Amino acid sequence: MNKTKNFFYLKFIKNRFIFLIPLLTFFVLFVVIPVLLSIFMSFTSASFQGSQFIGLSNYQSMISDSYFWNSLIVTIEFAGMSTILVFIISLGIALLVQNENKFSSIMRVLFYLPYMTPLIVAATMWKWMLNYNTGIINFILTLIGLPAVDWLNSNPNALLSVIMVQVWGLVGFMAMLFVTGLQSIPSEFKEAAIVDGANKFQTFFSVTFPLLKNTSILVLVLSLAYTFSNSFALIYIMTTGGPGYGTTVTPLYIYQTAFTQYRWGYASTLTLFLLAMAIAIGLFALRVQNFRIRKRG
Amino acid sequence: MIYKSKLISRIFTLILAFVFISPIIWVVMASFKTTAQLETYPPSIFTWPPVISGFINIFTSMNFLGIIGNTLFVATVSTIITVFICLAGGYALSKGVFRSKDTLALLMIMTLFVGAQVIMVPLFFVIKDLHLLNSLWGLIIPAVFTPTGTFISLQYMKGIPNELLESANIDGANEWQIFTRIIIPLSTPLIAVLSIFSFTWRWNDFVLPLIVINNTKNYTIQMALGMYQGQYNISWDSIMAISAISLIVPIIIFLIFQKAFVRGLMAGGVKY
Repeated sequence: MNKTKNFFYLKFIKNRFIFLIPLLTFFVLFVVIPVLLSIFMSFTSASFQGSQFIGLSNYQSMISDSYFWNSLIVTIEFAGMSTILVFIISLGIALLVQNENKFSSIMRVLFYLPYMTPLIVAATMWKWMLNYNTGIINFILTLIGLPAVDWLNSNPNALLSVIMVQVWGLVGFMAMLFVTGLQSIPSEFKEAAIVDGANKFQTFFSVTFPLLKNTSILVLVLSLAYTFSNSFALIYIMTTGGPGYGTTVTPLYIYQTAFTQYRWGYASTLTLFLLAMAIAIGLFALRVQNFRIRKRG
Repeated sequence: MIYKSKLISRIFTLILAFVFISPIIWVVMASFKTTAQLETYPPSIFTWPPVISGFINIFTSMNFLGIIGNTLFVATVSTIITVFICLAGGYALSKGVFRSKDTLALLMIMTLFVGAQVIMVPLFFVIKDLHLLNSLWGLIIPAVFTPTGTFISLQYMKGIPNELLESANIDGANEWQIFTRIIIPLSTPLIAVLSIFSFTWRWNDFVLPLIVINNTKNYTIQMALGMYQGQYNISWDSIMAISAISLIVPIIIFLIFQKAFVRGLMAGGVKY
Protein backbone atom coordinates (compact mmCIF):
# COMPACT_ATOMS: atom_id res chain seq x y z
CA MET A 1 0.00 0.00 0.00
CA ASN A 2 2.69 2.37 1.07
CA LYS A 3 4.81 1.25 -1.84
CA THR A 4 2.14 2.01 -4.47
CA LYS A 5 1.52 5.40 -2.89
CA ASN A 6 5.21 6.09 -3.09
CA PHE A 7 5.33 5.04 -6.72
CA PHE A 8 2.45 7.37 -7.55
CA TYR A 9 4.12 10.18 -5.64
CA LEU A 10 7.42 9.79 -7.48
CA LYS A 11 5.88 9.14 -10.86
CA PHE A 12 3.31 11.94 -10.98
CA ILE A 13 3.69 14.45 -8.18
CA LYS A 14 7.38 14.73 -7.38
CA ASN A 15 8.29 15.17 -11.04
CA ARG A 16 5.40 17.64 -11.50
CA PHE A 17 3.74 15.62 -14.26
CA ILE A 18 0.45 15.99 -12.43
CA PHE A 19 0.36 19.69 -13.30
CA LEU A 20 0.40 18.83 -16.98
CA ILE A 21 -2.66 16.59 -16.80
CA PRO A 22 -5.40 19.23 -17.31
CA LEU A 23 -3.65 20.81 -20.29
CA LEU A 24 -2.75 17.43 -21.71
CA THR A 25 -6.35 16.20 -21.36
CA PHE A 26 -7.74 19.06 -23.46
CA PHE A 27 -4.91 18.70 -25.95
CA VAL A 28 -5.58 14.99 -26.39
CA LEU A 29 -9.37 15.39 -26.53
CA PHE A 30 -9.51 18.24 -29.03
CA VAL A 31 -6.34 17.89 -31.08
CA VAL A 32 -4.96 14.35 -30.91
CA ILE A 33 -8.27 12.48 -31.01
CA PRO A 34 -9.67 14.57 -33.89
CA VAL A 35 -6.51 13.85 -35.88
CA LEU A 36 -6.74 10.11 -35.15
CA LEU A 37 -10.45 10.17 -35.92
CA SER A 38 -9.88 11.78 -39.30
CA ILE A 39 -7.32 9.09 -40.13
CA PHE A 40 -9.91 6.44 -39.29
CA MET A 41 -12.76 8.20 -41.10
CA SER A 42 -10.69 8.78 -44.22
CA PHE A 43 -10.97 5.04 -44.94
CA THR A 44 -14.77 5.06 -44.65
CA SER A 45 -17.69 6.30 -46.66
CA ALA A 46 -19.17 8.10 -43.66
CA SER A 47 -22.24 10.10 -44.69
CA PHE A 48 -25.94 10.32 -43.89
CA GLN A 49 -26.38 6.84 -45.36
CA GLY A 50 -24.10 5.32 -42.76
CA SER A 51 -20.48 4.40 -42.79
CA GLN A 52 -18.58 1.57 -44.44
CA PHE A 53 -14.93 0.69 -44.75
CA ILE A 54 -13.94 1.50 -48.31
CA GLY A 55 -10.14 1.27 -48.18
CA LEU A 56 -8.28 3.81 -50.23
CA SER A 57 -11.26 4.81 -52.32
CA ASN A 58 -11.41 8.32 -50.84
CA TYR A 59 -7.75 8.80 -51.60
CA GLN A 60 -8.34 7.81 -55.21
CA SER A 61 -11.19 10.31 -55.41
CA MET A 62 -8.95 12.97 -53.97
CA ILE A 63 -6.27 12.43 -56.59
CA SER A 64 -8.79 12.91 -59.40
CA ASP A 65 -10.74 15.74 -57.72
CA SER A 66 -9.84 18.79 -59.77
CA TYR A 67 -11.85 21.09 -57.46
CA PHE A 68 -9.67 19.99 -54.57
CA TRP A 69 -6.43 20.65 -56.42
CA ASN A 70 -7.81 23.98 -57.54
CA SER A 71 -8.61 24.85 -53.92
CA LEU A 72 -5.06 23.95 -52.94
CA ILE A 73 -3.67 26.30 -55.58
CA VAL A 74 -6.00 29.06 -54.33
CA THR A 75 -4.83 28.39 -50.75
CA ILE A 76 -1.19 28.64 -51.75
CA GLU A 77 -1.81 31.79 -53.80
CA PHE A 78 -3.71 33.34 -50.91
CA ALA A 79 -1.12 32.48 -48.26
CA GLY A 80 1.89 33.15 -50.48
CA MET A 81 0.81 36.53 -51.82
CA SER A 82 -0.48 37.67 -48.44
CA THR A 83 2.84 36.72 -46.84
CA ILE A 84 4.93 38.62 -49.38
CA LEU A 85 2.76 41.74 -49.18
CA VAL A 86 2.59 41.62 -45.37
CA PHE A 87 6.37 41.34 -45.24
CA ILE A 88 7.05 44.34 -47.47
CA ILE A 89 4.36 46.62 -46.07
CA SER A 90 5.00 45.83 -42.40
CA LEU A 91 8.72 46.45 -42.84
CA GLY A 92 7.93 49.79 -44.46
CA ILE A 93 5.59 50.78 -41.65
CA ALA A 94 8.11 49.67 -39.03
CA LEU A 95 10.75 51.92 -40.59
CA LEU A 96 8.34 54.86 -40.39
CA VAL A 97 7.43 54.34 -36.74
CA GLN A 98 10.58 52.78 -35.26
CA ASN A 99 11.74 55.80 -33.23
CA GLU A 100 10.87 56.22 -29.57
CA ASN A 101 8.83 59.39 -29.49
CA LYS A 102 5.27 60.38 -28.83
CA PHE A 103 4.31 60.65 -32.51
CA SER A 104 5.65 57.20 -33.39
CA SER A 105 4.07 55.49 -30.43
CA ILE A 106 0.63 56.92 -31.29
CA MET A 107 1.09 55.89 -34.93
CA ARG A 108 2.05 52.39 -33.83
CA VAL A 109 -1.22 52.07 -31.95
CA LEU A 110 -3.18 53.22 -35.01
CA PHE A 111 -1.42 50.76 -37.30
CA TYR A 112 -2.11 47.97 -34.79
CA LEU A 113 -5.88 48.57 -34.66
CA PRO A 114 -6.77 46.60 -37.83
CA TYR A 115 -5.15 43.55 -36.23
CA MET A 116 -7.50 43.92 -33.27
CA THR A 117 -10.53 44.05 -35.55
CA PRO A 118 -12.45 40.74 -35.44
CA LEU A 119 -12.10 38.96 -38.79
CA ILE A 120 -15.86 38.78 -39.28
CA VAL A 121 -16.22 42.52 -38.75
CA ALA A 122 -13.34 43.16 -41.15
CA ALA A 123 -14.92 40.87 -43.73
CA THR A 124 -18.36 42.43 -43.31
CA MET A 125 -17.23 46.02 -43.62
CA TRP A 126 -14.83 45.42 -46.49
CA LYS A 127 -17.52 43.48 -48.35
CA TRP A 128 -19.80 46.46 -47.93
CA MET A 129 -17.14 48.99 -48.91
CA LEU A 130 -16.10 46.95 -51.97
CA ASN A 131 -19.67 46.60 -53.28
CA TYR A 132 -19.66 47.25 -57.02
CA ASN A 133 -22.64 49.59 -57.14
CA THR A 134 -22.84 51.25 -53.75
CA GLY A 135 -19.45 50.76 -52.12
CA ILE A 136 -17.35 53.69 -50.97
CA ILE A 137 -14.20 52.39 -52.71
CA ASN A 138 -15.75 52.53 -56.16
CA PHE A 139 -17.28 55.88 -55.27
CA ILE A 140 -13.83 57.26 -54.51
CA LEU A 141 -12.41 55.70 -57.68
CA THR A 142 -15.07 57.31 -59.88
CA LEU A 143 -14.64 60.59 -58.01
CA ILE A 144 -11.00 60.78 -59.07
CA GLY A 145 -11.87 59.70 -62.60
CA LEU A 146 -10.96 56.03 -62.50
CA PRO A 147 -13.31 53.27 -63.67
CA ALA A 148 -15.25 51.34 -61.03
CA VAL A 149 -13.82 47.88 -60.36
CA ASP A 150 -15.87 44.74 -59.84
CA TRP A 151 -13.99 43.73 -56.70
CA LEU A 152 -15.83 40.67 -55.47
CA ASN A 153 -17.74 39.21 -58.42
CA SER A 154 -15.02 38.58 -60.95
CA ASN A 155 -11.81 36.60 -61.07
CA PRO A 156 -9.04 37.21 -60.18
CA ASN A 157 -10.27 40.41 -58.50
CA ALA A 158 -12.10 38.51 -55.77
CA LEU A 159 -8.94 36.70 -54.69
CA LEU A 160 -6.95 39.94 -54.76
CA SER A 161 -9.64 41.60 -52.63
CA VAL A 162 -9.59 38.96 -49.91
CA ILE A 163 -5.78 39.03 -49.95
CA MET A 164 -5.93 42.81 -49.53
CA VAL A 165 -8.19 42.49 -46.48
CA GLN A 166 -5.98 39.79 -44.98
CA VAL A 167 -2.91 41.97 -45.48
CA TRP A 168 -4.71 44.97 -43.99
CA GLY A 169 -5.52 42.96 -40.89
CA LEU A 170 -2.08 41.48 -40.39
CA VAL A 171 0.53 44.16 -41.15
CA GLY A 172 0.05 46.03 -37.85
CA PHE A 173 1.07 42.99 -35.83
CA MET A 174 4.02 42.12 -38.05
CA ALA A 175 5.17 45.76 -38.09
CA MET A 176 5.39 45.59 -34.28
CA LEU A 177 7.71 42.58 -34.59
CA PHE A 178 9.88 44.56 -36.99
CA VAL A 179 9.89 47.59 -34.66
CA THR A 180 11.10 45.38 -31.81
CA GLY A 181 13.76 44.00 -34.12
CA LEU A 182 14.84 47.42 -35.37
CA GLN A 183 15.07 48.84 -31.86
CA SER A 184 17.37 46.07 -30.71
CA ILE A 185 19.96 46.86 -33.37
CA PRO A 186 22.73 48.90 -31.68
CA SER A 187 22.78 52.39 -33.18
CA GLU A 188 26.60 52.23 -33.43
CA PHE A 189 26.26 50.03 -36.51
CA LYS A 190 24.23 52.61 -38.38
CA GLU A 191 26.37 55.48 -37.16
CA ALA A 192 29.51 53.72 -38.34
CA ALA A 193 28.00 53.27 -41.79
CA ILE A 194 27.01 56.93 -41.94
CA VAL A 195 30.52 57.99 -40.85
CA ASP A 196 31.87 55.84 -43.66
CA GLY A 197 29.78 57.89 -46.05
CA ALA A 198 26.86 55.57 -46.72
CA ASN A 199 23.54 57.20 -47.59
CA LYS A 200 20.21 56.19 -46.07
CA PHE A 201 19.43 53.51 -48.64
CA GLN A 202 22.91 52.01 -48.47
CA THR A 203 22.72 51.97 -44.68
CA PHE A 204 19.39 50.19 -44.80
CA PHE A 205 20.27 47.56 -47.38
CA SER A 206 23.80 46.78 -46.26
CA VAL A 207 23.56 47.27 -42.48
CA THR A 208 20.02 47.30 -41.08
CA PHE A 209 18.31 44.73 -43.29
CA PRO A 210 20.98 41.99 -42.93
CA LEU A 211 20.84 42.47 -39.13
CA LEU A 212 17.09 41.98 -39.28
CA LYS A 213 17.50 38.51 -40.77
CA ASN A 214 16.06 36.67 -37.78
CA THR A 215 13.08 38.98 -37.38
CA SER A 216 12.46 38.73 -41.12
CA ILE A 217 12.40 34.96 -41.00
CA LEU A 218 10.06 35.07 -38.02
CA VAL A 219 7.68 37.46 -39.79
CA LEU A 220 7.68 35.32 -42.94
CA VAL A 221 7.01 32.11 -41.04
CA LEU A 222 4.31 33.59 -38.81
CA SER A 223 2.58 35.30 -41.74
CA LEU A 224 2.59 32.11 -43.74
CA ALA A 225 1.26 30.09 -40.82
CA TYR A 226 -1.38 32.67 -40.02
CA THR A 227 -2.68 33.13 -43.55
CA PHE A 228 -2.59 29.38 -44.17
CA SER A 229 -4.69 28.59 -41.12
CA ASN A 230 -7.02 31.63 -40.89
CA SER A 231 -8.33 32.09 -44.40
CA PHE A 232 -11.65 30.37 -43.80
CA ALA A 233 -13.72 32.91 -41.84
CA LEU A 234 -12.66 35.87 -43.97
CA ILE A 235 -13.45 34.17 -47.27
CA TYR A 236 -16.61 32.50 -45.99
CA ILE A 237 -18.10 35.93 -45.27
CA MET A 238 -16.66 37.95 -48.15
CA THR A 239 -17.14 35.70 -51.16
CA THR A 240 -18.23 32.24 -49.91
CA GLY A 241 -15.58 30.90 -52.25
CA GLY A 242 -16.93 32.55 -55.37
CA PRO A 243 -17.22 33.64 -58.05
CA GLY A 244 -17.16 30.05 -59.26
CA TYR A 245 -14.32 28.47 -57.31
CA GLY A 246 -12.10 31.55 -57.59
CA THR A 247 -11.62 32.03 -53.85
CA THR A 248 -12.47 28.54 -52.58
CA VAL A 249 -9.54 27.78 -50.29
CA THR A 250 -9.11 24.19 -49.13
CA PRO A 251 -10.63 24.68 -45.64
CA LEU A 252 -13.73 26.14 -47.28
CA TYR A 253 -13.89 23.26 -49.77
CA ILE A 254 -13.62 20.81 -46.87
CA TYR A 255 -16.35 22.67 -45.00
CA GLN A 256 -18.67 22.44 -48.00
CA THR A 257 -17.85 18.76 -48.54
CA ALA A 258 -18.59 17.99 -44.90
CA PHE A 259 -21.43 20.29 -43.98
CA THR A 260 -23.38 20.93 -47.17
CA GLN A 261 -22.75 17.65 -49.04
CA TYR A 262 -22.37 15.56 -45.85
CA ARG A 263 -19.50 13.53 -47.35
CA TRP A 264 -17.73 13.16 -44.01
CA GLY A 265 -15.42 10.32 -44.97
CA TYR A 266 -14.14 12.15 -48.01
CA ALA A 267 -13.87 15.42 -46.06
CA SER A 268 -11.67 13.57 -43.55
CA THR A 269 -9.32 12.48 -46.30
CA LEU A 270 -8.98 16.08 -47.47
CA THR A 271 -8.49 17.17 -43.85
CA LEU A 272 -5.54 14.81 -43.55
CA PHE A 273 -3.92 16.26 -46.63
CA LEU A 274 -4.33 19.81 -45.30
CA LEU A 275 -3.07 18.68 -41.91
CA ALA A 276 0.05 17.21 -43.49
CA MET A 277 0.71 20.56 -45.15
CA ALA A 278 0.13 22.46 -41.91
CA ILE A 279 2.50 20.14 -40.06
CA ALA A 280 5.13 20.56 -42.77
CA ILE A 281 4.93 24.34 -42.32
CA GLY A 282 5.06 23.84 -38.55
CA LEU A 283 8.18 21.66 -38.72
CA PHE A 284 9.84 24.17 -40.99
CA ALA A 285 8.96 26.97 -38.55
CA LEU A 286 10.33 25.01 -35.61
CA ARG A 287 13.60 24.41 -37.44
CA VAL A 288 13.90 28.14 -37.96
CA GLN A 289 13.05 28.76 -34.32
CA ASN A 290 15.61 26.19 -33.11
CA PHE A 291 18.19 27.76 -35.31
CA ARG A 292 17.51 31.10 -33.66
CA ILE A 293 17.74 29.72 -30.15
CA ARG A 294 20.99 27.94 -30.83
CA LYS A 295 22.52 30.97 -32.44
CA ARG A 296 21.54 33.11 -29.49
CA GLY A 297 22.62 30.72 -26.77
CA MET B 1 16.85 70.49 -44.12
CA ILE B 2 16.69 67.64 -41.63
CA TYR B 3 13.56 69.11 -40.09
CA LYS B 4 11.92 69.34 -43.47
CA SER B 5 12.50 65.66 -44.34
CA LYS B 6 11.30 64.67 -40.89
CA LEU B 7 8.14 66.70 -41.36
CA ILE B 8 7.46 65.12 -44.76
CA SER B 9 7.96 61.65 -43.33
CA ARG B 10 5.57 62.44 -40.47
CA ILE B 11 2.89 63.76 -42.78
CA PHE B 12 3.25 60.67 -44.96
CA THR B 13 3.00 58.40 -41.90
CA LEU B 14 -0.07 60.27 -40.71
CA ILE B 15 -1.85 59.91 -44.06
CA LEU B 16 -0.95 56.24 -44.27
CA ALA B 17 -2.21 55.62 -40.74
CA PHE B 18 -5.44 57.39 -41.60
CA VAL B 19 -5.92 55.20 -44.68
CA PHE B 20 -5.32 52.15 -42.50
CA ILE B 21 -7.89 52.98 -39.88
CA SER B 22 -10.42 54.65 -42.18
CA PRO B 23 -12.45 51.41 -42.58
CA ILE B 24 -12.79 51.29 -38.80
CA ILE B 25 -13.87 54.93 -38.61
CA TRP B 26 -16.21 54.33 -41.54
CA VAL B 27 -17.97 51.43 -39.87
CA VAL B 28 -18.32 53.25 -36.54
CA MET B 29 -19.78 56.24 -38.36
CA ALA B 30 -22.07 53.93 -40.31
CA SER B 31 -23.47 52.48 -37.11
CA PHE B 32 -25.01 55.89 -36.40
CA LYS B 33 -26.92 56.02 -39.68
CA THR B 34 -30.37 54.82 -40.70
CA THR B 35 -30.77 52.03 -43.24
CA ALA B 36 -31.97 54.61 -45.76
CA GLN B 37 -28.84 56.70 -45.24
CA LEU B 38 -26.69 53.58 -45.58
CA GLU B 39 -28.26 52.63 -48.90
CA THR B 40 -28.04 55.95 -50.72
CA TYR B 41 -25.65 56.42 -53.60
CA PRO B 42 -23.42 58.39 -53.70
CA PRO B 43 -22.66 57.39 -50.11
CA SER B 44 -23.38 60.03 -47.52
CA ILE B 45 -20.12 60.48 -45.64
CA PHE B 46 -21.32 62.70 -42.83
CA THR B 47 -24.84 62.55 -41.59
CA TRP B 48 -26.04 64.79 -38.82
CA PRO B 49 -27.57 64.23 -36.33
CA PRO B 50 -26.30 60.71 -35.50
CA VAL B 51 -29.13 58.24 -35.09
CA ILE B 52 -29.11 55.15 -32.94
CA SER B 53 -31.88 53.28 -34.75
CA GLY B 54 -29.48 50.41 -35.47
CA PHE B 55 -28.64 49.98 -31.81
CA ILE B 56 -32.31 50.16 -30.87
CA ASN B 57 -33.15 47.61 -33.57
CA ILE B 58 -30.74 44.98 -32.36
CA PHE B 59 -32.17 45.13 -28.88
CA THR B 60 -35.79 45.06 -30.02
CA SER B 61 -35.90 42.90 -33.17
CA MET B 62 -33.30 40.34 -32.13
CA ASN B 63 -32.23 39.09 -28.77
CA PHE B 64 -28.99 41.05 -28.69
CA LEU B 65 -28.76 41.04 -24.91
CA GLY B 66 -28.80 37.24 -25.06
CA ILE B 67 -26.13 37.26 -27.78
CA ILE B 68 -23.87 39.52 -25.71
CA GLY B 69 -24.55 37.40 -22.64
CA ASN B 70 -23.60 34.21 -24.52
CA THR B 71 -20.42 35.77 -25.84
CA LEU B 72 -19.35 37.14 -22.47
CA PHE B 73 -20.12 33.81 -20.81
CA VAL B 74 -18.12 31.83 -23.36
CA ALA B 75 -15.20 34.28 -23.37
CA THR B 76 -15.03 34.59 -19.57
CA VAL B 77 -15.37 30.92 -18.67
CA SER B 78 -12.93 29.73 -21.33
CA THR B 79 -10.46 32.41 -20.28
CA ILE B 80 -10.57 31.23 -16.66
CA ILE B 81 -10.02 27.61 -17.70
CA THR B 82 -7.30 28.55 -20.19
CA VAL B 83 -5.39 30.58 -17.60
CA PHE B 84 -5.57 27.76 -15.08
CA ILE B 85 -4.48 24.94 -17.39
CA CYS B 86 -1.77 27.09 -19.00
CA LEU B 87 -0.30 28.06 -15.61
CA ALA B 88 -0.24 24.47 -14.41
CA GLY B 89 0.84 23.08 -17.77
CA GLY B 90 3.49 25.74 -18.28
CA TYR B 91 4.85 24.94 -14.84
CA ALA B 92 5.04 21.23 -15.61
CA LEU B 93 6.61 21.79 -19.02
CA SER B 94 9.23 24.23 -17.75
CA LYS B 95 10.06 22.91 -14.28
CA GLY B 96 8.98 19.30 -14.53
CA VAL B 97 11.53 16.50 -14.40
CA PHE B 98 9.80 13.75 -16.40
CA ARG B 99 11.01 12.21 -19.61
CA SER B 100 9.30 13.21 -22.86
CA LYS B 101 8.72 16.69 -21.41
CA ASP B 102 10.35 18.46 -24.36
CA THR B 103 8.67 16.19 -26.90
CA LEU B 104 5.26 16.94 -25.41
CA ALA B 105 5.96 20.67 -25.38
CA LEU B 106 7.09 20.55 -28.99
CA LEU B 107 4.03 18.56 -30.02
CA MET B 108 1.65 21.02 -28.40
CA ILE B 109 3.32 24.15 -29.71
CA MET B 110 3.50 22.74 -33.22
CA THR B 111 -0.30 22.79 -33.39
CA LEU B 112 0.06 26.55 -33.68
CA PHE B 113 -0.13 25.82 -37.39
CA VAL B 114 -3.15 23.54 -37.09
CA GLY B 115 -6.02 25.95 -36.51
CA ALA B 116 -9.60 24.89 -35.84
CA GLN B 117 -10.34 25.46 -39.53
CA VAL B 118 -7.95 22.65 -40.48
CA ILE B 119 -9.44 19.97 -38.23
CA MET B 120 -13.03 21.22 -38.07
CA VAL B 121 -14.58 18.05 -39.52
CA PRO B 122 -13.17 15.56 -36.98
CA LEU B 123 -13.51 18.21 -34.25
CA PHE B 124 -17.22 18.39 -35.04
CA PHE B 125 -17.59 14.65 -34.43
CA VAL B 126 -15.64 14.75 -31.16
CA ILE B 127 -17.85 17.60 -29.94
CA LYS B 128 -20.92 15.67 -31.10
CA ASP B 129 -19.85 12.52 -29.24
CA LEU B 130 -19.32 14.55 -26.08
CA HIS B 131 -22.91 15.83 -26.47
CA LEU B 132 -21.70 19.42 -26.61
CA LEU B 133 -23.31 20.33 -29.95
CA ASN B 134 -25.59 23.33 -29.78
CA SER B 135 -24.49 24.26 -26.30
CA LEU B 136 -22.29 27.09 -25.11
CA TRP B 137 -20.02 24.54 -23.43
CA GLY B 138 -19.30 23.27 -26.93
CA LEU B 139 -17.68 26.64 -27.61
CA ILE B 140 -15.78 26.67 -24.33
CA ILE B 141 -14.35 23.21 -23.72
CA PRO B 142 -12.86 22.55 -27.18
CA ALA B 143 -11.18 25.96 -27.25
CA VAL B 144 -9.39 26.11 -23.91
CA PHE B 145 -6.21 24.43 -25.14
CA THR B 146 -4.27 26.96 -27.18
CA PRO B 147 -0.73 26.44 -28.49
CA THR B 148 0.05 30.15 -28.17
CA GLY B 149 -1.01 30.20 -24.51
CA THR B 150 1.05 27.08 -23.84
CA PHE B 151 4.07 28.58 -25.57
CA ILE B 152 3.85 31.93 -23.75
CA SER B 153 3.46 30.19 -20.37
CA LEU B 154 6.36 27.84 -21.01
CA GLN B 155 8.63 30.70 -22.06
CA TYR B 156 7.62 32.85 -19.10
CA MET B 157 8.09 30.15 -16.49
CA LYS B 158 11.50 29.19 -17.81
CA GLY B 159 12.51 32.61 -16.53
CA ILE B 160 11.59 31.80 -12.91
CA PRO B 161 14.85 30.80 -11.17
CA ASN B 162 15.06 27.15 -10.08
CA GLU B 163 16.78 28.24 -6.85
CA LEU B 164 13.46 29.65 -5.63
CA LEU B 165 11.77 26.27 -6.00
CA GLU B 166 14.68 24.43 -4.42
CA SER B 167 14.83 26.65 -1.38
CA ALA B 168 11.07 26.32 -0.91
CA ASN B 169 11.54 22.57 -1.13
CA ILE B 170 14.21 22.65 1.57
CA ASP B 171 11.89 24.73 3.73
CA GLY B 172 9.45 21.85 3.53
CA ALA B 173 6.90 23.17 1.02
CA ASN B 174 5.13 20.47 -0.97
CA GLU B 175 4.57 20.66 -4.74
CA TRP B 176 1.12 22.19 -4.42
CA GLN B 177 2.39 24.88 -2.06
CA ILE B 178 5.28 25.70 -4.37
CA PHE B 179 2.82 26.11 -7.21
CA THR B 180 0.26 28.24 -5.37
CA ARG B 181 2.62 30.30 -3.20
CA ILE B 182 5.59 30.83 -5.48
CA ILE B 183 4.71 30.17 -9.10
CA ILE B 184 1.27 31.82 -9.23
CA PRO B 185 2.27 35.05 -7.40
CA LEU B 186 5.31 35.39 -9.67
CA SER B 187 3.13 34.89 -12.75
CA THR B 188 0.79 37.87 -12.53
CA PRO B 189 2.12 39.47 -15.76
CA LEU B 190 1.64 36.12 -17.49
CA ILE B 191 -1.90 35.81 -16.13
CA ALA B 192 -2.70 39.28 -17.48
CA VAL B 193 -1.36 38.46 -20.93
CA LEU B 194 -3.11 35.09 -21.06
CA SER B 195 -6.43 36.57 -19.94
CA ILE B 196 -6.39 39.40 -22.45
CA PHE B 197 -5.34 37.16 -25.34
CA SER B 198 -7.77 34.40 -24.50
CA PHE B 199 -10.70 36.76 -24.02
CA THR B 200 -10.15 38.47 -27.38
CA TRP B 201 -9.65 35.14 -29.19
CA ARG B 202 -12.95 33.84 -27.86
CA TRP B 203 -14.73 37.12 -28.50
CA ASN B 204 -13.52 37.03 -32.13
CA ASP B 205 -14.13 33.33 -32.73
CA PHE B 206 -16.30 32.34 -35.67
CA VAL B 207 -15.18 28.90 -36.89
CA LEU B 208 -16.12 26.99 -33.74
CA PRO B 209 -19.59 28.61 -33.36
CA LEU B 210 -20.22 27.92 -37.04
CA ILE B 211 -19.82 24.15 -36.63
CA VAL B 212 -21.18 23.83 -33.08
CA ILE B 213 -24.17 26.17 -32.86
CA ASN B 214 -27.25 25.97 -35.04
CA ASN B 215 -29.99 27.76 -33.17
CA THR B 216 -30.17 31.50 -32.71
CA LYS B 217 -30.65 31.15 -28.96
CA ASN B 218 -26.97 30.22 -28.57
CA TYR B 219 -25.50 32.68 -31.08
CA THR B 220 -22.36 34.55 -30.13
CA ILE B 221 -21.72 38.03 -31.49
CA GLN B 222 -19.49 36.97 -34.43
CA MET B 223 -21.92 34.20 -35.30
CA ALA B 224 -24.83 36.67 -35.28
CA LEU B 225 -22.88 39.06 -37.48
CA GLY B 226 -21.91 36.33 -39.90
CA MET B 227 -25.31 34.66 -40.10
CA TYR B 228 -27.66 37.62 -39.98
CA GLN B 229 -26.15 39.65 -42.82
CA GLY B 230 -28.04 39.26 -46.04
CA GLN B 231 -31.17 38.00 -44.34
CA TYR B 232 -34.24 39.83 -45.56
CA ASN B 233 -35.61 40.55 -42.08
CA ILE B 234 -32.38 42.06 -40.76
CA SER B 235 -31.83 45.70 -41.63
CA TRP B 236 -28.44 47.14 -42.57
CA ASP B 237 -28.33 49.52 -39.64
CA SER B 238 -28.55 46.51 -37.30
CA ILE B 239 -25.58 44.85 -39.03
CA MET B 240 -23.57 48.04 -38.69
CA ALA B 241 -24.50 48.35 -35.02
CA ILE B 242 -23.41 44.76 -34.29
CA SER B 243 -20.17 45.37 -36.23
CA ALA B 244 -19.42 48.49 -34.22
CA ILE B 245 -20.03 46.81 -30.86
CA SER B 246 -18.14 43.71 -31.88
CA LEU B 247 -15.20 45.85 -33.00
CA ILE B 248 -15.07 48.29 -30.14
CA VAL B 249 -14.65 45.70 -27.38
CA PRO B 250 -11.29 44.24 -28.48
CA ILE B 251 -10.06 47.70 -29.42
CA ILE B 252 -10.83 49.07 -25.96
CA ILE B 253 -9.19 46.03 -24.37
CA PHE B 254 -6.12 46.67 -26.50
CA LEU B 255 -5.99 50.38 -25.68
CA ILE B 256 -6.24 49.71 -21.95
CA PHE B 257 -3.76 46.83 -21.85
CA GLN B 258 -1.29 47.96 -24.53
CA LYS B 259 1.70 47.31 -22.29
CA ALA B 260 0.59 43.76 -21.60
CA PHE B 261 0.25 43.13 -25.34
CA VAL B 262 3.81 44.27 -25.90
CA ARG B 263 4.94 42.04 -23.03
CA GLY B 264 3.08 39.19 -24.72
CA LEU B 265 5.10 39.76 -27.85
CA MET B 266 8.30 39.80 -25.83
CA ALA B 267 7.37 36.63 -23.98
CA GLY B 268 6.88 34.98 -27.35
CA GLY B 269 10.63 35.19 -27.72
CA VAL B 270 10.46 38.10 -30.10
CA LYS B 271 13.67 39.96 -29.62
CA TYR B 272 15.91 41.63 -32.14
